[in-house]
Amino acid sequence: MLRLARAAVTTVILVVVLLPIYWMVSTSLKPNREITQDGTLYPHAPSFDNYAHLFSQKQFGNFLLNSVAITVVSVALALTAGSLAAYAIARFRLRFGLERWIGLSLLTLRIVPPVVILIPIYLLMLRLGLLDTWLGLIITYTALNITFCVWMMESFFREIPLDLEEAAMVDGDSRFTAFRRIVLPLAAPGLAATAIFAVIVTFNEFLFALVLTATPRSMTMPRGTATLIGRIDTDWASMSAAGVVGALPIVIFALLVQRHLVRGLTMGAVK
Amino acid sequence: MTTMAPTIRRERLQGAGLDGALPYLLLAPAVLVALAVLIYPLWDGIRTSTQFYRYGRPLRDVGFGNYIQLWTDPEFLNSLWVTVSFVTLAVAIEAVLGLGLALFCVREFRGIRLLRTILIIPMVITPVVVAIVFRLIYASDAGMLTAFSEALGGAPVQILGQAGPAFLALVALDVWEWTPLMFLIILAGLQSLPVEPFEAARVDGAGPWRTFVDHTLPMLRPVLAVAIVLRTIDAFGTFDQVFVLTGGGPGQSTLVLSIFGYNTAFKFQETGYAAALFVTMGLIVLALALGAVRLLRRVEAN
Repeated sequence: MLRLARAAVTTVILVVVLLPIYWMVSTSLKPNREITQDGTLYPHAPSFDNYAHLFSQKQFGNFLLNSVAITVVSVALALTAGSLAAYAIARFRLRFGLERWIGLSLLTLRIVPPVVILIPIYLLMLRLGLLDTWLGLIITYTALNITFCVWMMESFFREIPLDLEEAAMVDGDSRFTAFRRIVLPLAAPGLAATAIFAVIVTFNEFLFALVLTATPRSMTMPRGTATLIGRIDTDWASMSAAGVVGALPIVIFALLVQRHLVRGLTMGAVK
Repeated sequence: MTTMAPTIRRERLQGAGLDGALPYLLLAPAVLVALAVLIYPLWDGIRTSTQFYRYGRPLRDVGFGNYIQLWTDPEFLNSLWVTVSFVTLAVAIEAVLGLGLALFCVREFRGIRLLRTILIIPMVITPVVVAIVFRLIYASDAGMLTAFSEALGGAPVQILGQAGPAFLALVALDVWEWTPLMFLIILAGLQSLPVEPFEAARVDGAGPWRTFVDHTLPMLRPVLAVAIVLRTIDAFGTFDQVFVLTGGGPGQSTLVLSIFGYNTAFKFQETGYAAALFVTMGLIVLALALGAVRLLRRVEAN
């Protein structure tokens, strides 16, 4: 009886999650007439024409390239700067308790929703001439990620016992060698969890991309996808294909790194 | 003594000479970026919120004028109401569904790994794409609901064109996207609960409902609270999904605060007024977070 109930509930969940995605994929394989007029439940003559159109006519390749480049660079920068700061906060005592103040300020900044700085960031990039450039978005995303990276990495560094590091230094390692040989390998899972989370959030970001970019030369994937959405006449064929291509990289990435991801997602809450 | 020991050891680690500058060098990049791209804009945003703008240019200083105008602006009040009802409804449904699912899945069974894998998909897909998925469900011509309805001999389904249904459609999107997160957090919480109270309850002959009310729910409360607070704060700033799904319409039925602020700033160029709105949003979220922290301390103290 229980087994049957479980099978039933599992099936319902799978259908609820997957059916909407099936519909998008199925729509993306249909010609326009079949989408809007016939309303077929599956593509009768599936073809990749919509995808070809997306890349040849709508510059979707550009959007993807921009997204990948901007995400990789800004996450790498935030993770590096954030980890260094987190290590200092976790390991050093500074005058006036400075390191604790910095840690607390960064945490407070993390709680402030990013929309608060939307307008000033726009004005800043306008003044610096960085609107509609990769650099403008890279700077913004690095800053938005840094507070998160410091907060995550600090808790990971604190979990690594001080004794290990001290022992290495007593054995004649310099601080840097001790860091590289002892701390870094132990912090690797933490680095991975932090990086994965930051990559997903950054790749998906839309609001700042909407405000800071204007042409395909700097538009990211979510931003470029939104331009396909007409208010009056909707190009369902391009839109569904864009949805599939846009979702694919991040879904594959997430499924590959699933274990780290779930830990990162639930860590803060359960601890 | 236990608190002193690490302090002394840290100082020993610190060493002397050039090493003394090391922590400052390590902190510098992150602090400089935060100062230039987070704290300065934050200050600039507050300053902007005290100015009167027309067509994107500051005309004069109005002090708290924008804030006062905000609380008498029926459009803002409507927007606040839409946001609060959206967040309340969506998060409540997500919490109940998430808890139910987690209780259902807490004992390992075949298929649970597949389930967990599949449930990751909605929350990692780009929010813009999630909105496209749901437009493709609701659309009266190309939509899935219409297709099914017509396959069963019914009429096209109208959803995004009417106020009430459009609002509920937005809630449904949020529930689809974020129930999995609620589920994962609560499941992790459930799995970290001690086993003894449950065994004792079983020995005492308590039924599943009594066990749930007497043991599971009280012990799970902190995790549940954190999950709900995180989700509430996040949902309060929802932008992408609304922008793509409805754009705030029809009328103003789904005009959440972030969309209202975006339109005010970038469509109507009332930069100062929009800045005041965003600062107000920030304060509301900050108040929510601080309130939650105090609430949690009290829950943990009990």
